[in-house]
Amino acid sequence: MSPRGRFLVATLSGLVLAGLVHVVVVLLIPRLSETDALPRARTEEALDHPVPVKSVAGGEVTATAEAWLPVPDPSVAVGLCAYDLADGPMRVSARTGPLMMSLAVHGRRGAFYAVTDQAAVRGALDLVVLTRAQYDEALANADEDEVSHDVRIVAPDSKGYVVVRVIAALPSQRPAADAAVQAVSCTVDSPAEDSKPGG
Amino acid sequence: MRMTLAETVARLRPAQTRTPSPESRSADGSRPRSGRGLAAALRGGVRRASTVTLVLYALALGVGIGLATADYATRGGYPFGGVRVAAWTAWPKVGSPGADPYARAVNARRGEIPLTIGEGMLLTADRDDSGRALDAACTYAVAGVTPPARAWTLTVAGHGASDPARPPMRTGFTATEILRETDGRFVIALSPEVQPGNWLPMPPARGAVRLALRLYDTPVAASAGNLDRSAVPAITRTGCAA
Repeated sequence: MSPRGRFLVATLSGLVLAGLVHVVVVLLIPRLSETDALPRARTEEALDHPVPVKSVAGGEVTATAEAWLPVPDPSVAVGLCAYDLADGPMRVSARTGPLMMSLAVHGRRGAFYAVTDQAAVRGALDLVVLTRAQYDEALANADEDEVSHDVRIVAPDSKGYVVVRVIAALPSQRPAADAAVQAVSCTVDSPAEDSKPGG
Repeated sequence: MRMTLAETVARLRPAQTRTPSPESRSADGSRPRSGRGLAAALRGGVRRASTVTLVLYALALGVGIGLATADYATRGGYPFGGVRVAAWTAWPKVGSPGADPYARAVNARRGEIPLTIGEGMLLTADRDDSGRALDAACTYAVAGVTPPARAWTLTVAGHGASDPARPPMRTGFTATEILRETDGRFVIALSPEVQPGNWLPMPPARGAVRLALRLYDTPVAASAGNLDRSAVPAITRTGCAA
């Protein structure tokens, strides 16, 4: 092979390698990232309440150097509850208030369920995130006569997080929005309590 | 140390160091000769390169270009997956399990928790209705109506870091805060100068700015492709500071 041909082959294989490296790096970024929401929620310890990711009461705007958008919305308080379904089903209980609230359940690949406070029954919103096996068990143990207001969601992965967002429409509502995020409770339903009717 | 560095540079770049001397300037065209010399050196390098050199070259090329393009594609906004509606781009899928790997990588790098279809939808704009990029030196009118939603916020962001000494007075409006016409339409003046009505100050940074419209609890997230250009606010440039 001529020297120029060898050089061309080397360049072509370099470009093919570049494509492979590109794809692998893009796919690995969510796993390796430390700024991602899930690792952040796991490293911080909060007992039964969401970790405040973004509180709005301070009023200061936190913009990073590469702020493509103000991340996140300056008038929305955000909290995170990380769950690991190996410990048992996760129960998220929220009381609706005057402020608009939304709950979204994220797995490893993205959000698979979201609900807003409009779905609340008598001012209460109860989500139970469980695996398929836990769901079947809960169905088998359920009492036919009891009416449960729980929204049961089967999660695709055993690990994930629940995002609580409360929108402060006016700056004066921002402390209330932070408090509303904190008022949501995220608890692990222990297996012994599974037979207990929901509520 | 500095002397040896200078000598090395001089030896490495003989053509440039020779140009100021009168002898070389009198000699015919030193620059074409250096160009030809470079090409000849490259050709010689290609001819003499051993297999090991070529393998190292291919590896360096692959890793370098692969990392650089991956960084570029996930650094700014979402590279693709948006739905264009007039000047706005809607991003209905970035939070769902069907999001493309680039959107997931961008979210992970920015630490952003995207809005999902049940929660709301993000729309962004980096140009006005006539297609010109949004500039921090200009005044814009963001006017009209938004798609139906229980709440929405409109925020503006400049490119690059904001000045910590001059924190922005306001970076956005919520649907409750703005003043409206009697028919429910609104006009938000995005300007570096003080404006009457709904004044959204331009971020102090120079250059490009972006608008983000976040709709919360909206039915349009599931059918973003059907959005009409009359359903989103129009962005018109009304003037520019010289």
